Amino acid sequence: MTPLRLIALAIAALALATLPYWMSGIYYVNVASQILFFAVFALGLNVLAGYGGLVSLGHAALFGISAYATGYILQAGFGHPVAIIGALVVGVASMALYAVLSLRSTGIGFIMITLALGEILWGLAYRWISVTNGDNGINLHGRPAPFGIELTTATAFYYTTLVVFALAVVMVAIFVRSPLGAALKGTRDQPRRMNALGYHVWAIRFWACLFSGLLTSLSGILFVYYTQFISPQTLALTSSAEVLLMVISGGAGTLLGPIVGAGLVVIVKSVVSGFLERWNFLLGAIFVAIVILMPEGLVPGTARLWRLAWRRARGGGAPS
Amino acid sequence: MSALTVTDLRKSFGGLRVTKGVNLNVAPGERRLIIGPNGAGKTTLFNLITGELTPDAGSIELFGTNITRVPSRRRPHMGMARTYQIITLFPQDTIIHNVSLALLGLTPMRWNPLTDMRRQSRLTEQAHAALARVGLGHIAERPLSQTSYGERRRVEIAMALAQNPKLLLLDEPFAGLSIDERRDVQQLLLAIPRDVTIVMIEHNMDVALEFAERITLLHFGEVIVEGNRAEVVADPRTREVYLGH
Repeated sequence: MTPLRLIALAIAALALATLPYWMSGIYYVNVASQILFFAVFALGLNVLAGYGGLVSLGHAALFGISAYATGYILQAGFGHPVAIIGALVVGVASMALYAVLSLRSTGIGFIMITLALGEILWGLAYRWISVTNGDNGINLHGRPAPFGIELTTATAFYYTTLVVFALAVVMVAIFVRSPLGAALKGTRDQPRRMNALGYHVWAIRFWACLFSGLLTSLSGILFVYYTQFISPQTLALTSSAEVLLMVISGGAGTLLGPIVGAGLVVIVKSVVSGFLERWNFLLGAIFVAIVILMPEGLVPGTARLWRLAWRRARGGGAPS
Repeated sequence: MSALTVTDLRKSFGGLRVTKGVNLNVAPGERRLIIGPNGAGKTTLFNLITGELTPDAGSIELFGTNITRVPSRRRPHMGMARTYQIITLFPQDTIIHNVSLALLGLTPMRWNPLTDMRRQSRLTEQAHAALARVGLGHIAERPLSQTSYGERRRVEIAMALAQNPKLLLLDEPFAGLSIDERRDVQQLLLAIPRDVTIVMIEHNMDVALEFAERITLLHFGEVIVEGNRAEVVADPRTREVYLGH
């Protein structure tokens, strides 16, 4: 890692660690929590869409399954540790089934299968009222208290989310630098070649799906504890599209891109919407501008512009 | 025991019969050249041998082992490597990363999600050795996108050789190369040791004939002439369908 990146990382870490102290108002601390757990969700989708080239339009359904599972297990009288572990198991197992069905195809076929699966699960959540309580959803009562720390306050919940977020970033960073991560990127770029080199392309994608499912489940659990409510709207296509927007706008296939994308979408949705009635129009306009001006996403696009500016400033030399 | 035995291999795409009972027997260490006009079914034959296509009938044996139903991804683990007519590499990565991926493909480490691939010193050393073998050691860290066509051809060959194959299938390795690049690749192929059996498709007869010991002429999915260089070149059917009068 270059010194410049180390400094940037240290500043970012310090800013996140001290955020509740310099951010005025509980509302904004809660917005920061939302950015972090949606960033975990976007990181999960990025494993598939960015590093694996498999664009899923049904990921919100998996996010919702974990959230519903948490609610059911708590309603059944179990404690929070059982609910969290159970929801993770249910989420990853659902992802395994989802992968078996959707990895029969790639490209447009994969997108359509994931879209269909997402819609099926949304339909079940919406219409199977005896199980899901339909549009009324499921309410949660209380948050866990790890090591005796109550997560009822915005600050305590923020720090818990920050720990999970940091864990997710480290997990993804390790994964993408690993042989399996390199193999996944290889299957994205040249699946035929990877097969001819002795790789089991389907199995590599399957493992990537499970890892993506784990991160998606983690974010789903954080979400349901944050809102203390889960309804079919969480599983809807718009939710899947939103998280895909986070990945694409920030920069698919980069570690920082989905985090920046999550920040952008959550801020427009939660903060700008307070001042602007047509906030979704603004979000759409921002997305169109990104696609036109920085088709690779905000993070790689900014890096490209930075390199260009540096070269011009140095009279042709490139930054290290 | 033959290195490669293809028996009565057949393949159709709908009503189009592209491989019509091909028989091929390649001895260990042999340099075999497959020639034929466009559409003769040469690349299809390679795709059948490597398992990228499933034959309708017939069998394929690699050093005495029937591999007809073995999945294509398992064949490199059995000693088969190939290059492609259209260069198929990872353009966003460096040259050494491309070769490292080839090496990684045959090791259980490819499933490892925890270790840093760049810190696998043994893998890196092997990749450097493979690149040195094809004369690209000095540009190992260069992004593939910044290399010439000829260098990419050599990267393809380096990737195949890095897997220590017993049977190497080369699909038009001289295609699109300049005279100098062609000479470099030719030297490279001539330096491959005899424990590697080579089957090559090539249209450039100047370089290919110098390399080949036996030649198979395919036409409309059938072997119509087979023999040593002199026999095949002298055969009137070769002149009629391929070399011209």
